[in-house]
Amino acid sequence: MTQRERRLISGDGFYVDDIELPNIVHCVFVGSPYAHARIKSIDVSRALKVTGVLAVITGREVAELMDPLPATSNYGAIGWHWRTPKAYPIAVDKVRYQGEPVAAIIAEHPYIALDAADLIDIEYEPLPPVSDINEAMQPESPLVYEEWGDNIQVHLEFNFGDVDAAFKEAERVLPVSWHEARVSGFPIESRGCVASYDKVTGMLNMWSSTQAPFLGRQYISSALRLPTSKVRIVAADVGGAFGNKLNWWKDTVVGLGSIVTGRPVKWVESKRELFLTGSHNRDVTWDGEVAVKNDGSILGVKAKFLKDLGVEGTNRGSAAMGMVPACCSVPNAYRLKGVKIEAYGIVTNKSPYCAYRGYGKDKGIKFMERIIQVVSRELDIEPEQVRLRNFIQPHEFPYKQLTGYVYDSGDYPAVLRKVLKLGEINSWREKQGQARKQGKYIGVGVAFVVEPAGVAAPHCIYGGLTQARVSITSEGLVEVESDQTEIGQGSDITRTKVAANILGVRLDDIEVKRDTSDMPGSGVYSSRGAIYPTGALIRAARELKARMIKLAGHFLNEEAAHIDITDGVFHSTKDPTKRMSLKELADCVYFRPGPRGLPQDMQAKHEVLLDVSASWFSPNTTQNPTSTYATYCSGADIAVVEVDVETGAVSILKYAHVHDAGTLLDKDVVEGQIFGGIVQGIGEALSEELVYTKSGELLNNSYTDYMMPTAQDSPDIVLGHVETLSPFTELGQKGIGEAPPIGAKVAIINAIENALSPFKIRVPESPATRERVRKWILESQGG
Amino acid sequence: MKVPIETKVNNKPYKLEVEARSTLLDILRDELKIKSVHRGCEDGECGACTVLLNGKPVCSCLVLAPQVGGAEITTVEGLLKDDELHPLMLAFVENHAIQCGYCTPGVIMTAYYLLNNLTEFTDEELRKGIEGNLCRCTGYIHIIKAIKTAKEYKDSGNWW
Repeated sequence: MTQRERRLISGDGFYVDDIELPNIVHCVFVGSPYAHARIKSIDVSRALKVTGVLAVITGREVAELMDPLPATSNYGAIGWHWRTPKAYPIAVDKVRYQGEPVAAIIAEHPYIALDAADLIDIEYEPLPPVSDINEAMQPESPLVYEEWGDNIQVHLEFNFGDVDAAFKEAERVLPVSWHEARVSGFPIESRGCVASYDKVTGMLNMWSSTQAPFLGRQYISSALRLPTSKVRIVAADVGGAFGNKLNWWKDTVVGLGSIVTGRPVKWVESKRELFLTGSHNRDVTWDGEVAVKNDGSILGVKAKFLKDLGVEGTNRGSAAMGMVPACCSVPNAYRLKGVKIEAYGIVTNKSPYCAYRGYGKDKGIKFMERIIQVVSRELDIEPEQVRLRNFIQPHEFPYKQLTGYVYDSGDYPAVLRKVLKLGEINSWREKQGQARKQGKYIGVGVAFVVEPAGVAAPHCIYGGLTQARVSITSEGLVEVESDQTEIGQGSDITRTKVAANILGVRLDDIEVKRDTSDMPGSGVYSSRGAIYPTGALIRAARELKARMIKLAGHFLNEEAAHIDITDGVFHSTKDPTKRMSLKELADCVYFRPGPRGLPQDMQAKHEVLLDVSASWFSPNTTQNPTSTYATYCSGADIAVVEVDVETGAVSILKYAHVHDAGTLLDKDVVEGQIFGGIVQGIGEALSEELVYTKSGELLNNSYTDYMMPTAQDSPDIVLGHVETLSPFTELGQKGIGEAPPIGAKVAIINAIENALSPFKIRVPESPATRERVRKWILESQGG
Repeated sequence: MKVPIETKVNNKPYKLEVEARSTLLDILRDELKIKSVHRGCEDGECGACTVLLNGKPVCSCLVLAPQVGGAEITTVEGLLKDDELHPLMLAFVENHAIQCGYCTPGVIMTAYYLLNNLTEFTDEELRKGIEGNLCRCTGYIHIIKAIKTAKEYKDSGNWW
């Protein structure tokens, strides 16, 4: 049991809401009721008169006291069509989405701030909103940013391999379209932070529910015009993140609130606010065609890709950048001749867009897995056979994909075959046939995912920095610190085990330190934890161990080559009487005799500390923005569903998943990630959807009507593992965390389409809600 | 407006003056500093603030503080015996059922109620029993496993 588990199970959390400081006050944001409106005037005088209100921050104050929010990615630097608008965390002249903050109230109690919110007098001039991406692309569309002249934030063209040759060789060209609704992670704990500005030292200390305190410091200090050295962020316990806590634009206002009032300020976001102000993800449309041979060989893909970014997707997150992996992930696990994609990132009057588990890569992969379904259906070849025919083969690794990605290792046929067996696909196909005779519609869906993990992208804040520090305290305990922020993915457990295994100490002797902005590193996203910070930790622990062994040899009067350490005790492999504990060694190194008694060569090299820091970087990361990931895990899914054609309800009869994450660092942690991810994917496939009206109003802004899976919606999952080690990481481990929701979503959709094949239904979009399933059935019957 | 109430939380009696509009969640967290009770949706949808009110699970965000006069309330802290973890808690740790930990105390309280009130249950009944507690990390699989382990502890007499 780690210390964190012991704390959390006993109720001793250190979540943002748990943090108390003397004289703390509270920040509440006030949002715009309109999706698009000019702010004609704001009068806060009545709000300021409420007893207990300390300050009201509006667009006027932020424009005066802050710099615009910094862009988190900018591929304009390499000549791409890439716009980065001038944006502030509180609307200055006009609001661009419903819920956009127009004021922040700092008050003694959150309820007082809410009372005062009703007393802010704002005169809006409503403008015509645009919430539909196709309308937004029309020349007469309302403009989200008038200065641009259109609503195209990003326009990219990718041409990988030789797509013309692929289509020339084709025996069939099949159309494929696919749309995914807007969804997000919406963790049970919303965003939040505490900011405490110290006038004497000029330090802004913050505690935040964040995935990346070091990046947060960069961002917040830039907006608040403070040197980075004057901002310090401690990661609080994080109650779920999933990409949603990779933005700090509201935190900047909380920091400003503390500077302005001279009091510590706490902001705990309401759930409604999290839904309304994002960040959101998905909401993409693919229209394309695939070139195939009659034997099921896939030759090439051409597609147009549209992404609804909502408001500016570079300042409040890194939304537009996700389009690059979306396009580059299309070839997935397959050998293709050419892929050509034209991609548009469009702004609309919707909430900001940023990361959600999958980030961007999920979109290309799901499109390809829908393509496989189309090929299977049209050529009447089982979907697993189409995959087996087109897979990159085990002997081809490392494999340079068309897109520039270098796939590290894998055995895709083995992963797929294993899941076919676990999912009992043949027996289900038999049952499917029998069920049809009884008027029941069972469908079998397959998905295969190669997940690019561990991004290190140029021209953005996600450059791949990492650092780990491992040290021995004077009483012989081990402290471990890295930018692998614990967000519920299990990094405390993983770090404890990895460090204990390398150092030869007991799990209980290890203390994992809370991540802070003092540790240079990009934090956790892109399934990078197992790759980058773990890589750094392994390197630091190995070096520290070498130092420990050498010192133990010195004090035990034995050659280092004959010293080993088990459960925190050094011993000579030649003479069992020569033993000393890590505690004794630490005492020798620190105090008795201390550095003066250490070997002279170590003194000369200044290696007198039991304290090592290290970094790690992927050898395959280049400056090419299309080749930016370190490892490529794979996963295969089988979903068996039954569709009730009368009600449109989908029930899951069987679910199996096989994963290849390279070396498993901790089986429980990996499986926790997989189970959680699969159920998120099921939610996206069947029920989750943010619904905007034409006027840009978000209709479902709570768990009441945004349907996340409950325990009743989660199926039993049969799980299997394959381990092909990555040659590019320290222990052969790969990133894990984003493949499961990707595979689950598309496996369920493919299964539904398969179940409804007697109706010749082509599932055009997700989620497959009951209403949509019924609509598809009625339409297929000419209704 | 302040309302005087007397209530018992984790077997300890309290005399409080509560704001009429404050919720049970507010007073547990802000007045009594019981931090296991988590603010999730404040809508009664996520179950992160679940406590036992007179032995029955409720979302403490949906109960107004003045309503709990004379009531007995139990939270996760009340299941600890001195510093010893309750077998139900231990089962959660053993089965890796805690990930981010935010939903955990609420799930524990619902599971504690179910285990104390149902002698036998199917997986389906268990899933139905905890469907009021949303979890975004685990997919519920390890949670279900943990509750089943806890049932074994209870059946073997390792329970309080």
